[in-house]
Amino acid sequence: MQHAVETQSLTRVFRPKKKREGKVVTALDSVDLRIDRGELFGILGPNGAGKTTILKILSTLLLPTSGKAYVAGFDVAKNLLEVRKRINMVSGGEISGYGLLTVRENLWMFSQFYGLKSKEAHQRIDVLLEKFGLRDKDKEKVRTLSTGQRQKMNVIRGFVTNPEIIFLDEPTLGLDVNAARTVREFVVDWIREDSSRTVLLTTHYMMEADELCNRIAIIDDGKILACDTPHNLKKLVRMNSTLTLSVGGLKDINDFSSIPGIDNFSSAKDAGGNETTLRFILEDESAVSDIVSTVLGKGSKILSLQKTEPTLEDVFIKLVGRGLE
Amino acid sequence: MAVRNDLRLLKSSAWLGWQMEANWTDPFLFATYSIVKPIAGTLILVFMYLVITGGETANDFFSYMYVGNALYMFVAEVLFGVTWVIHDDREHYMTLKHVYIAPMNFYIYIFGRSAIKIAITSFGVLITLAFGVLALGVGIDLGAVDWLLLTASLAVGLLCICILGLAMGGVSFLTAKHSIGINEGLAGVFYVMSGVVFPITILPSWAQTISKFLPVTYWMEVVRRAIEPAVMEGLAASSGYDVTGMGDMSNLTLMLLLLVSAGVFFIMSIGVFRVADNIARKKGKVDWTTAY
Amino acid sequence: MSEGPLMRNLRTIRGRAYPRLIGSTREPSWFFFDVVLPLFTIAGYAYVYRFLEADAEFIGYVVLGGAMTAFWLNILWSMASQLYWEKEIGNLSLYLMAPTSRMSILGGMAVGGLVETTIQAAATVVVGVIAFDVIFSLGSPVTLLVVFVVTMIALYGMGMMFASLYLLLGREAYHLSSLMMEPVYFATGFYFPVRSLGRWAAAGASIIPITLGLDAMRQLIFPVGADDAFLSVNTEIAVLCVLCVVFMVLARYALRYMEHLGKTTGRLTLRWQ
Repeated sequence: MQHAVETQSLTRVFRPKKKREGKVVTALDSVDLRIDRGELFGILGPNGAGKTTILKILSTLLLPTSGKAYVAGFDVAKNLLEVRKRINMVSGGEISGYGLLTVRENLWMFSQFYGLKSKEAHQRIDVLLEKFGLRDKDKEKVRTLSTGQRQKMNVIRGFVTNPEIIFLDEPTLGLDVNAARTVREFVVDWIREDSSRTVLLTTHYMMEADELCNRIAIIDDGKILACDTPHNLKKLVRMNSTLTLSVGGLKDINDFSSIPGIDNFSSAKDAGGNETTLRFILEDESAVSDIVSTVLGKGSKILSLQKTEPTLEDVFIKLVGRGLE
Repeated sequence: MAVRNDLRLLKSSAWLGWQMEANWTDPFLFATYSIVKPIAGTLILVFMYLVITGGETANDFFSYMYVGNALYMFVAEVLFGVTWVIHDDREHYMTLKHVYIAPMNFYIYIFGRSAIKIAITSFGVLITLAFGVLALGVGIDLGAVDWLLLTASLAVGLLCICILGLAMGGVSFLTAKHSIGINEGLAGVFYVMSGVVFPITILPSWAQTISKFLPVTYWMEVVRRAIEPAVMEGLAASSGYDVTGMGDMSNLTLMLLLLVSAGVFFIMSIGVFRVADNIARKKGKVDWTTAY
Repeated sequence: MSEGPLMRNLRTIRGRAYPRLIGSTREPSWFFFDVVLPLFTIAGYAYVYRFLEADAEFIGYVVLGGAMTAFWLNILWSMASQLYWEKEIGNLSLYLMAPTSRMSILGGMAVGGLVETTIQAAATVVVGVIAFDVIFSLGSPVTLLVVFVVTMIALYGMGMMFASLYLLLGREAYHLSSLMMEPVYFATGFYFPVRSLGRWAAAGASIIPITLGLDAMRQLIFPVGADDAFLSVNTEIAVLCVLCVVFMVLARYALRYMEHLGKTTGRLTLRWQ
């Protein structure tokens, strides 16, 4: 069966215009992905991991340095028009559109680039505005919308052309809880309506990836580290215990990696810098006493300690050796 | 301490202004860019003049027009430059709100940022005048220049224009999308009404009345008298009437009128800026972005 | 969903032209900014001619030239710089991802800009004529229309080419457009007959379609215009027709090349350059 998206050794290298202006960055390094029709596929990774680069290549905005990428069976570097007819993309935090046009006019304008008849476009716009709670905003100029409303309009723009495959690049970035939930629920419903539809979603919100995606690829430094269902990914750390400590006054984390029985760990300081959250993936629970004594030996105070169920973040920590944020 | 802080702010904002103005290209290209624009603008008038007079440039009116046009660069560019700082920070770099809430003197920041514009414009004016003297016979004799009068009038005039720019910058808080247009409109009023490229006496009488309230009118006349006294005397003599409408005024009177009119504009401009600033904060427009 | 490439591209043109057409009605302040502001320059230059006791036609030249600057400004700021600006506000990637010809998107921008600017320029002419008592003598309106149409096609073709060439520019786009204001006003003879620049300079300036278009219009509108003409109207129409084709073809190739270059270097959707 033809894959909705397929990449073969996809590599993208960015070179600075002049050598002194920076270093060569390998944004994608031999990425192999196969995404089937009907999948809601997530790419999870921290900022700068290469998520957006993949989407730019798949949406024909960027050429790969080497390797191949196919969307709906078409080569993204050669069959541009065939790819473009079948896709659309929504990026979080975008402020696309013209402020002097109304919400409806903006959506209609973009639909025209896909050749939609005006009547059909307006019907779809009506349905989508209703679903996103923007029905009463359709005659308002875009520049008067709030950030959340504008982002919802942006999401509608992506779906109004009814693409076969949609790329969602951090679609809930900057949205409040309710607006983000509306977007997530819509995406799930949309893909359920038609099994030939495909969603490729990038995010650095683990909960979002966990809740939405059939399969997830974890990416870091341009490399795919693991690719499976959320359930199977969590199995990677299911045999391990996960220990989370809140520590006050921790000066360094130098000695933890040498403690026997620790598979991997991450640390994150709070905004004030006084409290550190340490998250350990343990191979052997007997390491707990060593961890505690190491913390206390550094003159730090343990504020809380708990054993937790494995999450995708634990998978990420196990694979990468640091947290997502 | 406060003075030292202000000086440091002036220096760092001037440095920032230079980076923004010039670091988009290499210095040679930037210098070319800074020369080509004013020279080309001047050549339009030169050719208009040549077409009508059949090539005769050794003429007092030509020098009058040429020098006025060169000096007008200060009005247009400095006025624009000061307003542009606010527009650019707000609309393009989106840094205005960070600057605005910083515990510093906002006026000094704006003037520091604009200082480089004044320097670049001065360079353009000098090049244009040098081109006029060397290539077109514009009547400037360095030995006859009244340097004291020139320095005093330039200082008052530039300060007045800067403050006007600040007022326009304040207005741009409220009308960001059109701020540059409003600015050009004000510069346009000065171009037509202040005797920049033709004497105000050719204007309808109602327009001449307006002219006499504008500091730029007196500034043009004083600076011309300072740098081309022979031309101004020759123009008056050849016309047979008070062609500039200010021929019977002494330099001192003109300086006083410049000071008074500039002072009125200064107070009005500060008032406009403060009112606009206040309205902008009331309406929450200081950190608005209207880039559509 | 759609009816094939032709309809898709026509709809693209309509869609992209729409914001420009509707823009004028949404923002009535255009009358001040686009009609009143140019009048200051026109007034300044008209008074210079008046002071020099030039023939009345020269004030007409200034009014016509001043109105035509609207088209050049539209080319610089709303065509050439447009894709750079679209990139900054996030629209460019959406345009480039759409299954439609980029030329149709540029065409939509051009059509919208042309209609919008024609209204502005006409308003400037009307106000200028009333303010300065300019007398037009329209002997051959059909030829004038032909001149205007071919000038505009060539000019907007040039604008489309500029838009393509500007595609990868950052802040340089602003400065480049700024640099092409006064020098072009001068070289194309917006405010004086271009012939006075000399034959070779005028021939060089003819690469900008407004040069010949304006020269031809002056000949057709003012009785003594032919005395100041650079070339005959027919020759100018012929050259303008060639420029139409050249700029359209160059625009297409430039757009394709720059898009490819942008996708190769990764600068196509890069902001804050």
